[in-house]
Amino acid sequence: MSRDSDDAKVDLTPQNWSDLPVEPVTDVSHETGFQVVNKSVPRRDGVAKVTGRALYTSDITLPRMAHARIVRSPVAHARITSIDVSAALERPGVYAVLTGEDLKALPHTHYGHAVPDHAVLAIDKVIFVGEPVAAVIAASERIAQQAMEDVVVEYDELDAVITVDEALSPEAPVIHGRAFTSGAFRGFEEETVAGQTSNICEEAHVGWGDVEEGFSQATTIVEGEYYYPMAYAYAMEPYVAVGDVSDNSLTVYSSAQHPFMVRHDLAHVFGMSLGQVRVVVPYVGGGYGSKSYTKIEPLAAACSWWAKRPVKIQLGVEESILTTRGDDALVRMRTGVDSDGRIIAREATIYLNSGAYAENSPLVCKKSANRIVGPYAIPHVKVDCYSVYTNTCPASSFRGFGASLVTFGAESQIDELAEKLGEDGLSFRLRNVADEGERFFPKMRGLDANLKGDLRKLAAMLEWDAEPQAGRGKGLAVSASDAGAHPITTAAIKLHGDGSVTVLTGSTELGQGSHTVLAQIAAEEFGIPLESVQVVASDTAIVPFERSTGASRTTTLMGRAVQEACQEAIAQLCEMGSEAFGVPPEEIEQESGGLRHGDRSMAWSELLTSFFGMPDCEIVGRAYLRRAGDLKELPPFWEIGCAGVEIEVDEETGRIELTRLAAVGDVGLAINPAMAEGQDLGAAAMGIGTGLFEELVYDGQQLANANLWDYRVPRFTDIPSDVRLELTQDQNGVGPYGAKGGGEGSLNPMSASIANALYQATGVRVHEAPLTPERVWQALQAKKSSQREAE
Amino acid sequence: MNRLPAFTISQPQSVAEASEMLASLGDSGRLYAGGTELLATMKEGALLYDTLVDVKTVPGLADIRVQDGELWIGAAVTHFSIETSPIVRELLPVLSYVESRVANTRVRATGTLVGNLCFAEPHSDPATMLLCLDARVVAQSTRGERQLTIDEFFVGAYETALEEDEVVTSVVVPLPPANWRMAYKKFQIIERPTLGLGVVLELNDGGDSVATARAAVGCVSESPLRSSAAEAQLAGPLESLLERLDAAGDSLADEADLLDDREGSAEYKRHLIKVFLKRAVQQALQSDGPSR
Repeated sequence: MSRDSDDAKVDLTPQNWSDLPVEPVTDVSHETGFQVVNKSVPRRDGVAKVTGRALYTSDITLPRMAHARIVRSPVAHARITSIDVSAALERPGVYAVLTGEDLKALPHTHYGHAVPDHAVLAIDKVIFVGEPVAAVIAASERIAQQAMEDVVVEYDELDAVITVDEALSPEAPVIHGRAFTSGAFRGFEEETVAGQTSNICEEAHVGWGDVEEGFSQATTIVEGEYYYPMAYAYAMEPYVAVGDVSDNSLTVYSSAQHPFMVRHDLAHVFGMSLGQVRVVVPYVGGGYGSKSYTKIEPLAAACSWWAKRPVKIQLGVEESILTTRGDDALVRMRTGVDSDGRIIAREATIYLNSGAYAENSPLVCKKSANRIVGPYAIPHVKVDCYSVYTNTCPASSFRGFGASLVTFGAESQIDELAEKLGEDGLSFRLRNVADEGERFFPKMRGLDANLKGDLRKLAAMLEWDAEPQAGRGKGLAVSASDAGAHPITTAAIKLHGDGSVTVLTGSTELGQGSHTVLAQIAAEEFGIPLESVQVVASDTAIVPFERSTGASRTTTLMGRAVQEACQEAIAQLCEMGSEAFGVPPEEIEQESGGLRHGDRSMAWSELLTSFFGMPDCEIVGRAYLRRAGDLKELPPFWEIGCAGVEIEVDEETGRIELTRLAAVGDVGLAINPAMAEGQDLGAAAMGIGTGLFEELVYDGQQLANANLWDYRVPRFTDIPSDVRLELTQDQNGVGPYGAKGGGEGSLNPMSASIANALYQATGVRVHEAPLTPERVWQALQAKKSSQREAE
Repeated sequence: MNRLPAFTISQPQSVAEASEMLASLGDSGRLYAGGTELLATMKEGALLYDTLVDVKTVPGLADIRVQDGELWIGAAVTHFSIETSPIVRELLPVLSYVESRVANTRVRATGTLVGNLCFAEPHSDPATMLLCLDARVVAQSTRGERQLTIDEFFVGAYETALEEDEVVTSVVVPLPPANWRMAYKKFQIIERPTLGLGVVLELNDGGDSVATARAAVGCVSESPLRSSAAEAQLAGPLESLLERLDAAGDSLADEADLLDDREGSAEYKRHLIKVFLKRAVQQALQSDGPSR
């Protein structure tokens, strides 16, 4: 929500950017003795980005490159009866037009990491408004755009299902109605039932104990229905890809978060080996889950295959919204508390409107079922979650997926229970949240966080005990996500002849700071200056395999792989040192920048020169992480959300304004504290969006607000001036130096925090996010009229 | 990504030349100043022109001046220039305030007030306040010059009373006497305002009664509008003004013919009109002169 249009006044006076002071933030390095990690060094890509020198996919131009524009379906469900491309082909500058029919010459026409249900272009049938139907490939985007109007598509409309209710009705048309084999990277083992005989794409059932028994023992029960909206994980950079197919290889440049996942789908579609496919990802202008997995890369590659030249597809924001959104969630839930005030049972049914293709919704479904339990040790649990196909834009990952959308209801209900018990939401949570090490979720890793301590820190920042001013209220909420960071990560480092280092990583720099953090880790391990480390990332032909850049995994898993790769190189260097020093390796000690035996020191460069007999030679250190050892148990870490707000409510209009925002990042150890806090603030800001105003709305078959005029994302002016952030650094994670993932957690509790604060301020409870002014006003009106009736 | 279709920019050196260009171009051309609405709409493909006639190359349209007790604002003057103009800040601070709230920094730096009016997008902040201020639009063509009131100027959403070859050269705003009080309030949820509400109150000599009143509401209908019933209800003693506000708000809402849509239910908009009418009146009366 804007305060009218208050734009923050920013001083843009040119300065020497690299000399900008770094704000002092929580830093425990004085206790731990770290040299480079746990320090808020400036981000390494910062200057390149603010000066416009950083390379993004849209900057890439190849010789003979053409541009494609996509003809999209105007209807939600229809048979394609004909596509006439002849007039478009006659237009000067048009090279080719690709349709679904043409794709049938490819080894495979469909892809999908979870369920391979996604056609590269609609084949015979369209199943949502905005689905790509044809691609016009031309010498320029403008020519392609004009020629799009010459492509004549005729449709025979079918009944469409837009809502979950419609999709699950017995009369509903089955959107897919065919058997799929499981995709290669489901993230879990079961076979898929997606869409064979109904519109259920995936279901997840989680439970233990006996909920009926639990509720029979409960002395207080709250039951409710909650709705969390469809949202778009807006990134400043929309989807963009350049495809370049030659006789025996395929190269795709893309804004993808997970290049290796995209490589798999491309190899599948084109019948190539993994080695033949190269996916290169330069800087990415924000991901937030919207760029997880495969998006427009197969289409860009197919256009190149068809037009026999490199082809770039650059989408705008409007088309990007039609490409992927977040699942919404309708949650029906009840929670019971026993006579000791302990949560004894929770039962929930969740319906996700997952749109036309599975994308990552099967995993969102699975995670939603887990994460609605919350960080509480509840003896009796039963959760049923359904991901449902509809004739709407496909849903997939959205930052913190599976948590934000159910935590709204889950943590609203916790406050409702506390209220019913006449108790404060903080003390209720302090009694009920799991202890550090407690296995509150069967068969999963015990809680690797001090959540009670985090809650106390949060309460202090919110000045929880101080009475808020009139018209204001405070609210808080917590979450614990079983991080979907499946531990398959490999990394390599090259130690160059002069002692400098290159880190080779499959982690994509999305703006989250991986280039900085991974360099800090390598510098720490070798005892060399940060400036001596370079990072090369996300080129599948060069860097070792990494499963994804998502689920807050990079610091924990890639960070640890880089650390182990450095250590593996140092072990090699010790062997070299043994030869050089003439002593057994175990007598050699590592020191800053090299090795030492007694009072003899050799720098890394000297060791290499001594070993190879010539300067400028180099060695490679490598590390393979898999589900073994301390990474065997899942999740590799619990990502904690612990955030709260103070809000001011304009009761006349229903408008909520945040007056304070507080969040605790329980990250084990922040490799770069300033960036960790920045991630927490960014995540919380996204939570302000879906908490207060962000929602995609369908009007019949059409998305009514698939543009930034009508779909508002948070701005700096939506962030309160009073922001308080703290990091908990107990070094209790499986990552390097005890680090754990962060950067998504603070989003998850935000909408519930706002709803809880609204209740404290006004006594009204809103069960539908976002809490728009009109929803709040309607709730206030309802309260007033029920009070009048009571009088 | 949608790209702007190719078009030509013509650079007239006089209003007459601009008018001639527009006449010969017909539907294939349009006048353009800041382009903040026009170019965005062309990019989306909703409007298509082969030629844009750049009003900014016409000398003499970039001035803000006072003439015979009226403020003249030229067609090429940006929102930002009006917001920061010492003349406007001194003589008509409410307009400076309204302009400071338009859209965002980029739009204010590029977009012009006259362009905003000519595009006739229903969610215009300045249009609502200018209606309330009895402003006029000066339109010129090779056939001569005429002045239209804001009410006459707006025909509907994206539609004005301008002839094909007419160029708006200025907006003229009568400057308020010392006994006038005025304010503008807006309510915004998404990118465009949900509601804009302007009031102008003329106080009697004793300062204890509203002699005449004007109230305009914008963004809730195709064009901003006033209600004579509401204005009659607002006139009268200050001490009972608060009691009359609810009815006046209803009158404004009745005039607006409110609809349920994505921006809110008709019921909610009616309520908002009352809330912001009250707030605007309160703010207007807090000042000791015709300030914002």
